[in-house]
Amino acid sequence: MALIASKSAQVPVTVLTGYLGAGKTTLLNRILSEQHGKKYAVIVNEFGELGVDNDLVVNADEEVFEMNNGCICCTVRGDLIRIIEGLMKRKDKFDGILVETTGLADPGPVAQTFFTDDDVKAKTRLDAIVTVVDAKHFLGQLGQGTEAQEQVAFADVILLNKTDLVSATDLEKVEAKIKAINPYARIHKTEKSKIQLDAILDKGAFDLKRILEFEPDFLEHGHDHNHEEEVKSLSITSDRPVDTDKFQKWMGAILQIKGPDIFRSKGILSIDGAPRRYVYQGVHMMMDADWGTPWKPGEKRASKLVFIGRNLDGDNLKRGFEDCLK
Amino acid sequence: MKLDLGNPAWRNTLPSTRSVVSDAPVAACAFSRDGATVGFGLGDGQVRLLPTDIKQPASAVAEPVHKGAVLSLIGDPLGDGFVSGGDDGRLVRVALGGGATEIAHQKGKWIDKLAGHRATGAIAASVGKMALVVDKAGDVREFGPHQSSVAALDFSKDGSRIAAAHYDGITVWSIGPSGTAVTLPPRRFAWRGSHVALKWSTDGKFIATGTQENDIHVWRIAQATDMRMQGYPAKVKSLSWSADARWLYTASQPVFTAWPFAGKGPEGKPPLQFGEEGAGLLTVVAAHPTAEYVAGGYDSGELQVGDIKTRRSAVLKMANGAAITCLAWSPDGASIAAGNDTGDMLVIDLRR
Repeated sequence: MALIASKSAQVPVTVLTGYLGAGKTTLLNRILSEQHGKKYAVIVNEFGELGVDNDLVVNADEEVFEMNNGCICCTVRGDLIRIIEGLMKRKDKFDGILVETTGLADPGPVAQTFFTDDDVKAKTRLDAIVTVVDAKHFLGQLGQGTEAQEQVAFADVILLNKTDLVSATDLEKVEAKIKAINPYARIHKTEKSKIQLDAILDKGAFDLKRILEFEPDFLEHGHDHNHEEEVKSLSITSDRPVDTDKFQKWMGAILQIKGPDIFRSKGILSIDGAPRRYVYQGVHMMMDADWGTPWKPGEKRASKLVFIGRNLDGDNLKRGFEDCLK
Repeated sequence: MKLDLGNPAWRNTLPSTRSVVSDAPVAACAFSRDGATVGFGLGDGQVRLLPTDIKQPASAVAEPVHKGAVLSLIGDPLGDGFVSGGDDGRLVRVALGGGATEIAHQKGKWIDKLAGHRATGAIAASVGKMALVVDKAGDVREFGPHQSSVAALDFSKDGSRIAAAHYDGITVWSIGPSGTAVTLPPRRFAWRGSHVALKWSTDGKFIATGTQENDIHVWRIAQATDMRMQGYPAKVKSLSWSADARWLYTASQPVFTAWPFAGKGPEGKPPLQFGEEGAGLLTVVAAHPTAEYVAGGYDSGELQVGDIKTRRSAVLKMANGAAITCLAWSPDGASIAAGNDTGDMLVIDLRR
């Protein structure tokens, strides 16, 4: 009997964010109208915006609620839970689901829905948070509020769009700014949101464990750039083994207090005595963790933690993590 | 009809069952008002009708009633057919012969949940943030908007009011006489979080909800007092009041779980748990229409029937890995209909 590893039956969900006018609708229209042989359900906020009349388009109201569990950043999209439940009743199954958020929405509640609801977790998995960035207006949007910055901070994948509308120098500036906020997102440069869909959909970009299987040095890509940013990434490394009990207590406490300001967190841990890497990823206070690939004999074991957030106190985080080391 | 679950027959053999397979998930099932027909709402838009008498020949595959999936189905309170709601935004009356008449159409929205009231002949439907009520005369009235989409709704015992579940609580509306636009201000009952299931008690005194946080919340309507039941391992998406309103049955446990509402109510008391532990957790519970029995379907596909007086239960169907999605009793309590998420439609004859 041949052994075959088949893909899990969970439907991949892509969260699509981006400032008003960045090119989300253009991208969605392409996904719905192009011949790609795939079937995607698209959950949008404003029905009329898409030019196509398609029964795969579902209208949502971005209904966010706070979980009644004492956690102030545990906000969830209840409408999404209901819609996904409803979509799963259909006879025809989907190759993927795309969830569009409005230009000014915080992607947190959408992402957190996939950590919170058991039914949603059983049937679907968060594949990636994709942010469309308007190359021409991004730097200006940064001054208009926190949204543009936060959408980049949350991203696993960034479409740096409308590159034809800016000079090479300006494009470099925008790219540098994006990397200063979030050096771990994969950037695709596009015009008119033109991209091979298989470059952004069903890539498992949210799941750090899966990324590491293909790219073991993924977290090494990012370097902390500009420490003057209000929203930035921060990484901590150590080659001393981690004490799990201490780490869990510390991380729990950090997320309890700083959760609202920590948009994304991810890490690889070298746990004392464990043969495998411990890999985790989180959105605000919610976190998923699992054992990753084994350490090779003789391989240098090291831990790396990444936080992307607002007003992060690097020294304090470093000290805290050091207390969790053996 | 009496079910003697102590009789060894229940232990040795499964009851006579008709099983029909569809290639679409079963979203909902219901018996017709006269009990002669079972309707199943399917994920391909079909409403499949089967005779309750499992010895009669099964009807052929029907034409789809909805363009997408059927989301909800009830027995028509005005006749012996059915009423279905779909993700094509249509609320449809399905006649026994299979003919479909549109009652309402809300483009771009889903007709998510339905409730019917036999004595008044009214139908309630949730459509986004609104609750629709269609009365006997066909007059459609809208109640809302609520602060979020209506996740569940139910009629009061006398059919004069409807209750809608949403974020941060429930809202109770007086429906008022047919043809009038005047609506009394609604009553709000607040509790933080998202309420995803709702059942009005069979004596009209209580409203129970299941919440996103795996709790149950119950309000005493007259006193506007409330209580909370905690400790479930999953969301409680199915609630059912016993015919005499003495018990509230709840899903999301491995055995039948009933909160006592006779006398002073359940505050400070544990629920009564009884019967054989099933495989997995109960996804759907349904109390018998007149007597002390309850039926339950599991996420493993197992089906059981229980007797709260003898605290016995018996298996109606073995687990097969496909979660039970719907469950209904015939009006005479002699048959049970059930469906699962891989498309099995079951009609079970409980007569031994």
